[in-house]
Amino acid sequence: MVEVSVSTEVADRLGGLPEASAIAMRLKAEQYFDAIQGLLDRFAAKKDLEVVYVTSTIPSQSIINALEALEIPIDRIWFVDCISQIMMSQTKRHPHATIVESPTMLENIMLKVEFLLRGHADRNALVVLDSVNSLAIHNNTKILSEFLHILVNNLRSRGAYTVIFSMQEYETDEIRNMLVLVSDETIELGE
Amino acid sequence: MPSKDRESSGERERCVTGIDGIDHILNGGVPRGNTVLVSGSVGTGKTSICIEFLVRGALFGENSLYLSVTEPTEKLLKNVIPFDFFDEKLMRQGKLQFIDLPRIYEKLGIDKEVVDMESARKLVETIGGIVDEHRVRRLVLDSVTSVCYGLRDQERIRDFLLRLGATLSAKGTTSLLVSEISSSDHGYSRWGVEEALTDGVIVTGNLERRGDLLRTLQVVKMRGTTHSRAKYVLDLTTSGVLLVPLLKGGSVTGGG
Repeated sequence: MVEVSVSTEVADRLGGLPEASAIAMRLKAEQYFDAIQGLLDRFAAKKDLEVVYVTSTIPSQSIINALEALEIPIDRIWFVDCISQIMMSQTKRHPHATIVESPTMLENIMLKVEFLLRGHADRNALVVLDSVNSLAIHNNTKILSEFLHILVNNLRSRGAYTVIFSMQEYETDEIRNMLVLVSDETIELGE
Repeated sequence: MPSKDRESSGERERCVTGIDGIDHILNGGVPRGNTVLVSGSVGTGKTSICIEFLVRGALFGENSLYLSVTEPTEKLLKNVIPFDFFDEKLMRQGKLQFIDLPRIYEKLGIDKEVVDMESARKLVETIGGIVDEHRVRRLVLDSVTSVCYGLRDQERIRDFLLRLGATLSAKGTTSLLVSEISSSDHGYSRWGVEEALTDGVIVTGNLERRGDLLRTLQVVKMRGTTHSRAKYVLDLTTSGVLLVPLLKGGSVTGGG
């Protein structure tokens, strides 16, 4: 049996889904960068999508560095970075990164996503939420569910794909229930 | 629903602000001819909302006028958000005009520190004349609070606002009057009468939630339309003023 790489699996499974789908992607920590590669390099590039990548897990600059190392172009990837500001890091801000002061400012995340999508209104989009678990560290389940519900429905009405990362090691029953409620499909990598 | 269809169905024609979030809250825009108080403390986005209202109007082909009381136009334009839809041609064509009200005071010989009833009436007539001359469909007075400082007593303020509202409304001009309040004020205006005499009240504010400061907007009154009374969070961007609903799941301490 031929073993399929994580990045190929991500691209293949997302490729079969219609536009406006909301997908909960359950992955293990060791699959993280491969999943990002499959999502951004294979799936989004093939579908010609503009990408808005919301990160509350690691700073956008770390993801950009990883993408550059993997030689993945970032011309059409825009970051909403909710973690760099509260880390008080002095790193230079990348022109593709927009800062939200704190992962608790969920409305501001929605506003930045809206702003970035407006800038590319003529193109289909993919919005990545990385990750529900890190957002759950800073927000209670009630407000987080409300945020996901509004965000996903808004993106669905625009015809954008939404992918919500959930790290299996840090999932709780509450998070799993929340994801079932807001997403059309759950993809568990390496099933 | 397009504006003309609304009229035939008995609804009032709308002045589409062009700010999507506000038009959504108002079910299509401000009823044409309404005078609306835009009230809030400093840094909450009042002026940006007003400028976008005018620029969008000018882009729709409606002549728009900004009457500045506190800040000279030159300084205002330097500090305003560089909207990516702003086109300098609008100003050259006269579609978008800025006038410093102190110049009008000067021409009329009004002492802005103490404005009597007669002078206040002259001021309204002059504004009405400018609106006629330039066929102004949208007007912003920034701020009505500063004008009221000169009027001083409630009777004069009431008379001024009633006359101004009636004059502009009769001409079909939709107006936003900026009201400056302090964050500790309980009402929507400095003098306590402005909100009762205008057709609508839009309140901008700051909401503190667990140490985060969010800019908010809420429409508390708008004659001539049903509207949402919920609180929204706003962002001032180069694409314009963006709004999303305020999330209610968290613990909210403090008002805005």
